[in-house]
Amino acid sequence: MKKIALAALALTLAVPGVSLAAKVKIGFINTITGAEAPIGENLTNGVTMALEDLKKKGIDVELIKEDDTGKPEKSLSAFEKLATRDNVAGVVGPYTSACANAVASQADRYKVPQVIPAAAKEEITRKGYKYVFRLNAPADVYSSVLMDAIMTVDKPKTIAYVYANTDFGISTVKTAKEYARKLGIREVADEKYLKGAPDFRSTLTKIKTLKPDLVFMVSYEVDAITLMRQSREIRLTPKAFLGAGAGFTTAQFLAQKMISNLVFSSTQWTEDVNWPGARNFYNRYKAKFGKEPSYHAACAYEAMIIMAETAAKNGGNREKTRAGLKSGQWNGIMGEVKFSDYAGYTNQNNHPMLVQQVQNGRYETVYPAKFATKNPIYPFKW
Amino acid sequence: MTLFLQSLISGILIGGVYALIGIGLTIIFGVMRVINFAHGDIMMVGMYMTYFLFTLFGIDPFVSVLVTIPLMFVFGAILQKLFINRILGALPQNQILLTIGLGLIMSNSMMLAFTSDYKILTTSYSSSSYRLAGLSVSKPLAISFLITVVITAALYRFLMKTDTGQAIRATAQDREAAQLMGINVKWMSILAFGIGASMAGTAGALISPTYYIFPQVGSAFTLKAFVITVLGGMGSIVGATLGGVIIGVVESMGAAYISSDWKDVVVFAIFLLVLLVKPSGLMGTSRT
Repeated sequence: MKKIALAALALTLAVPGVSLAAKVKIGFINTITGAEAPIGENLTNGVTMALEDLKKKGIDVELIKEDDTGKPEKSLSAFEKLATRDNVAGVVGPYTSACANAVASQADRYKVPQVIPAAAKEEITRKGYKYVFRLNAPADVYSSVLMDAIMTVDKPKTIAYVYANTDFGISTVKTAKEYARKLGIREVADEKYLKGAPDFRSTLTKIKTLKPDLVFMVSYEVDAITLMRQSREIRLTPKAFLGAGAGFTTAQFLAQKMISNLVFSSTQWTEDVNWPGARNFYNRYKAKFGKEPSYHAACAYEAMIIMAETAAKNGGNREKTRAGLKSGQWNGIMGEVKFSDYAGYTNQNNHPMLVQQVQNGRYETVYPAKFATKNPIYPFKW
Repeated sequence: MTLFLQSLISGILIGGVYALIGIGLTIIFGVMRVINFAHGDIMMVGMYMTYFLFTLFGIDPFVSVLVTIPLMFVFGAILQKLFINRILGALPQNQILLTIGLGLIMSNSMMLAFTSDYKILTTSYSSSSYRLAGLSVSKPLAISFLITVVITAALYRFLMKTDTGQAIRATAQDREAAQLMGINVKWMSILAFGIGASMAGTAGALISPTYYIFPQVGSAFTLKAFVITVLGGMGSIVGATLGGVIIGVVESMGAAYISSDWKDVVVFAIFLLVLLVKPSGLMGTSRT
């Protein structure tokens, strides 16, 4: 009996990839300081949980963390360091669209596989890079899924856009406009704003005079709160407020009961969706970090699991890891994941986005129907 | 017309808070000829103070200025005594480095202590407004504007009418002459930095109910304060007040009539125009 066990142990040790002692070096570029740091923290925490779970599966990850402070040039130098000096098997990150886009251009040059967890800018996976893989849905889905949800209850005629003057904001609205045109919704206002501005009152007043059916907003973090507070101040009352991404999906936004009620938002992930382990991830995260995870945490978790498992299986070989990512298939807290080529995208996971609405102080998934927990409430009222 | 009036009101009200930030910077510059690049960070400290007074002790942000003003005064005075006083005669770039360094230390210590999470102060009036003939006047902005007016008036009176105020102004006009007249200029500098810091802290307190708080919030306001001060004329309190309101209104009008991403272009175009015509700023007197 002892002999068999020993033989089995020897065998596992001899076969690379299945080895229990496999230690795989993964780089993780994230925004740890700077204005995007609060969301960056979600990614960090997601990755921390991923490392714990990987350890349970016998995959020991040597994680090399790099902080890009949200600046593309820092992201680039971090990536070069990981690729050349640290010799990592693969890289997870960076977080923001601008950084991820900059780094993606270098992944093919250094032949380092990269899994982008949560950056939405479409171009990132549209340039045919072989080493760049994206887990989350790109920016066009943020807007189309929201409009699809509204189309199930009404035929709106006009729309106003208010969005942050960032890569994410601009690319999301660009595709939103194309989609709205297809649906026959007329644009009445297009307002870009500088991230972090304290006063949107005159912009919102201008929109109020145009009486749009829908107000479509793209904001990071707390700008969403400022925008909604000032909308309430001036009583801007469209039939629906649509929030694409980040700022409208945070626990902080939810906590602002006076202004968050009935706002629709699109998200990559919710805790009540029926993807394997989603609820469990939420509960564990909350117990461990004392706050609720945003979708970024789930994205980063899954991205790290996928990258580390694939790299470990291929003994840290970059080329084999790339091939493994390309051919692999996963089903975890982000639902089914497969990196495929479609509609001009390369190595893009065709991730189904969700629409949630704040109802009685809770995010409820209201669209698509197969994932929904509640019906949407429409039209909006203060 | 509604749009015009609405933008004008919002602009003036937000301009009041800008003015307060600018006044703090201009007093410090006037008396010491030091450009305080830590100004926004001092404001950030005031914001955190307001936040904790509200969440821990339930003191309303607008009432808490009564606590914030003296505390921030002491904070500023200590900064001046320990650091700034040592470099008053130094090269300008050394002064800039020192204030930038102090600012970095402040924002990073805050990040260590309270993480980089955004703190949001929610009061019952955070998103409410008064309605006046079809216009809405933001309640928190209106109250903060009133407080700004009171503080500015009091400060102006202090500087114009009291002996200490005159001594501060004398130091600002000519440091050496003031010293020869028996004014303790080091003490005046401490006083001036204290006042500057308490103005910045107050601005932070006043903006807290409608904005949000995080360790890096300062840098944007440092830049704004700088523009306001230069526009109004370095060292001039009336100039900074005027500069603040002008910038507030221009931003608001720019957003309403051009577009929100062009509003800063409008601000800087006007800024450059003023400097072209009057290089010392609106109320500034040219100095060599």
